[in-house]
Amino acid sequence: MLTTFKVHRYDSELGGKPTFQQYAVDLPEDATVLDGLFKIREELDGTLAFRASCNRGFCGECTLRINRGGRLACMTRVAATRTKEGEVTVEPTRFVRVLKDLVYDVDRQLWQKIKAVEPWLQPAAAEPNSEHVIPDAELRPIRNAMKCYYCGLCDEGCSVIPFDNTFLGPTALTKAYRFVADPRDGARAHRLRAVGEPRGMWDCVHCYEADEHCPRGIEPTARILDLREMAVSAGVKSGTTNPQVARHYDSFARSVRTSGWLDEGRLALETWGIRRALDLLPVAWRALRRGKLPIPYRHPKRHGAERIGKIFEKVERRTP
Amino acid sequence: MPKHSVLIVGGGIAGMRAALAAKERGADVGLISKVHPLRTQGGTSQGGINAAVRDGDSAELHAADTVKGGDYLGEQSAVELLTGAARSAVVALDHWGVPFNRDPNGRLDARRLGGASRSRACFVDDMTGHAILQVLHEQLLKAGIATYQEWAVTNLLTEDGACIGAVALELASGRLDAFAANAVVLATGGCTRVYEPTSAAYGVTGDGVALAYRAGAALSDMEMVQFHSLGIKGSGMILTEALLGLGGYLINAAGERFVLQSAPTLGEQAPRDVVARAAEKEIARGPAEFVALDLRHLGGDELKRLELTGHIIKTQAGVDPATQTIPVRPVAHRTMGGVHVSTDGATGVAGLYAAGGCAGTGVHGANGLAGNWLLEALVFGERAGLAAAQRAPQPAKGVDAQLEDERRRIGSIVDRPVGSEKAGAIRSELGRLMRRHVGPVRTASGLRQAVNQVAELAARYQKAGIANKQQRFNYELAAFLELESLLTVGKVIVAAAGFREESRGAHYREDHLARDDARWLAHTVASFRPEGPAMTSKPVAIRRWKPEGRRY
Repeated sequence: MLTTFKVHRYDSELGGKPTFQQYAVDLPEDATVLDGLFKIREELDGTLAFRASCNRGFCGECTLRINRGGRLACMTRVAATRTKEGEVTVEPTRFVRVLKDLVYDVDRQLWQKIKAVEPWLQPAAAEPNSEHVIPDAELRPIRNAMKCYYCGLCDEGCSVIPFDNTFLGPTALTKAYRFVADPRDGARAHRLRAVGEPRGMWDCVHCYEADEHCPRGIEPTARILDLREMAVSAGVKSGTTNPQVARHYDSFARSVRTSGWLDEGRLALETWGIRRALDLLPVAWRALRRGKLPIPYRHPKRHGAERIGKIFEKVERRTP
Repeated sequence: MPKHSVLIVGGGIAGMRAALAAKERGADVGLISKVHPLRTQGGTSQGGINAAVRDGDSAELHAADTVKGGDYLGEQSAVELLTGAARSAVVALDHWGVPFNRDPNGRLDARRLGGASRSRACFVDDMTGHAILQVLHEQLLKAGIATYQEWAVTNLLTEDGACIGAVALELASGRLDAFAANAVVLATGGCTRVYEPTSAAYGVTGDGVALAYRAGAALSDMEMVQFHSLGIKGSGMILTEALLGLGGYLINAAGERFVLQSAPTLGEQAPRDVVARAAEKEIARGPAEFVALDLRHLGGDELKRLELTGHIIKTQAGVDPATQTIPVRPVAHRTMGGVHVSTDGATGVAGLYAAGGCAGTGVHGANGLAGNWLLEALVFGERAGLAAAQRAPQPAKGVDAQLEDERRRIGSIVDRPVGSEKAGAIRSELGRLMRRHVGPVRTASGLRQAVNQVAELAARYQKAGIANKQQRFNYELAAFLELESLLTVGKVIVAAAGFREESRGAHYREDHLARDDARWLAHTVASFRPEGPAMTSKPVAIRRWKPEGRRY
């Protein structure tokens, strides 16, 4: 099976523009893209740089962008992925700092962010002599999060990272979740405050791209939302060090409780404060011009608002 | 020049465990790894880690199964250490955060793997090794251990016959540097990449085994190579043996469960050597190049728990296991032998220790049991780390001169003309000849051919060169150096297989079908000689378990 590999070439020390080099590679029917890359390096071009390790889809080391999709090269069959023209395009994943060819800076992209969430168990109490006795159901969510093989594809799919690469991102937040959800961990409050900092969980825009991109079905967005929920039920003010988030939640709840629906104008003011809200004036102006900002701005009580208020009271009685 | 009191070479499970132990003992620890620790081989171990945690089981029963599984070649004192430490090793992992599956009482659950008389393998779904790897790496970060990732060790530093560090190549820059240390722990994994196809990661090239051997350490039981019966078509990717534990069958073209002829009681749940050999012989009868793994009779629920495996079956074998069988064949999986070490990991070279896949502790004997590999890496990794931490400070004499020598050696490899010999072709030929002549079924004539063919390949290697003369990320150079390790260990495997004139465990010779306890209740021991390995043998110390017939 003759296939044309179009492979990303670049050297960060030489700079310049990346190029795509073409290699004609003859491969057996069941060959993977990784087999093809090895064949290129061993027989056609020893200068091609790429990483690989387990060759079983377990370790995440050969994560690449193959025919415009993030994949593991060792698990991607050439026959199944090549185009009608018999081409396979191989490049690094997007939004990473490329070092050489297909090798990119995983340290900056993943390991440093993961390290930032203090990724080790902080035992809750003195350890028992034997294993912890824990219902299996409590460990299942942790096992789910630990399926992660650090391929970084959820971060690649993330809508925030391309604009702000200081955002912790779904991989690191999923790692944080793994500890917050662990009944053996004693640093839950500290962890929730830490991931509640700016650039943490509240910066997620829940676009669900991470869930779409995760090849392990971990659903990192859902894990981030789990973290938020845990922070909220721990009390937003103590659960987050991000004051805007606390004000946002307070304002949201107050508005629904008193009027029965959300007062968006007040929400923006109360979340951001007058000074930041002034920054939003251009947005307000555009909204006004398109007829999306009612003038005069009024926020009347909805019919049945009292009954909605009673729901709040009922819930508060149940959760002290 | 980085300096540490203990230098660990290898970032896998044994290496990280050794690093943590040495650090706990107060050592200043540095860890060098060819790949990031989370990308190492142990992460692919699915089935579990053995520990007698269930009622009705004991460390003694575990040891007895291990000795029998290893066809009585196991070093029994080491086996008892292994099984005696199993429970605390697993409990320590639980305390560090490994989310082991629990039984309905919230206690550790265990599944039954090949060759075990009890359900003894504690597990994390079908990703036990992956979970352990993550947790060890977390502890490594917590302990603040200095790690040098994507550095490949090219040589050991020695002084008066003692190891005082290592020289390593940084892949990112192409720079060679010396790492001085009081003690070095090799934890580089096995050498199964000497076979093709293989289930082993690309980096499992026997670097540590070859380094120690050339430095004067002996290698033991190198002929003992384990084949895994569930290699799926092509690349050597394997399916977890837990599929057989769940009741999967291996059948031939006529639909017969052929393993029952070799293991009438346990069938497919017999140890790996028995099952793999049965499959190999079935395939030799032809005409099919594969046997079939049949999961059709199993309920879907059990399979659902093995999510990753289900994904591999679907995408790589391309079949639906509920309605179709999966073509499989034995592929080289693990090496039982390695650098001959004491139970504290000490090699024959002062200051040099070895643990995990590269070490020959003797616990696996002639055939390792599933679930004992992770355990061995943890228990003996810890012991080697502790022992290395106690070594007295060594003067780093002559390091600069040795670094210069190594720079010249590597430089001359890079400067060699490319020529017509390709390293990749040599590696591939080596892998295929090892599979053909030193596989699950061996003969005297095949082994003689292998001796000559490996020697020819080694000669061709001396004439080969690399085309890539760049400094940064020169993977061609890294692979070229790995090939030297492969050729070194390949030579020893072939010599040891020719030396052991009997059949035992994974070593099966058609010209010596019987086990010969009178002569061969002994380890093969290989020592480096320029002209080729010098082979001797060393009797097994039989303490509690006398050799018996091995029926399953």
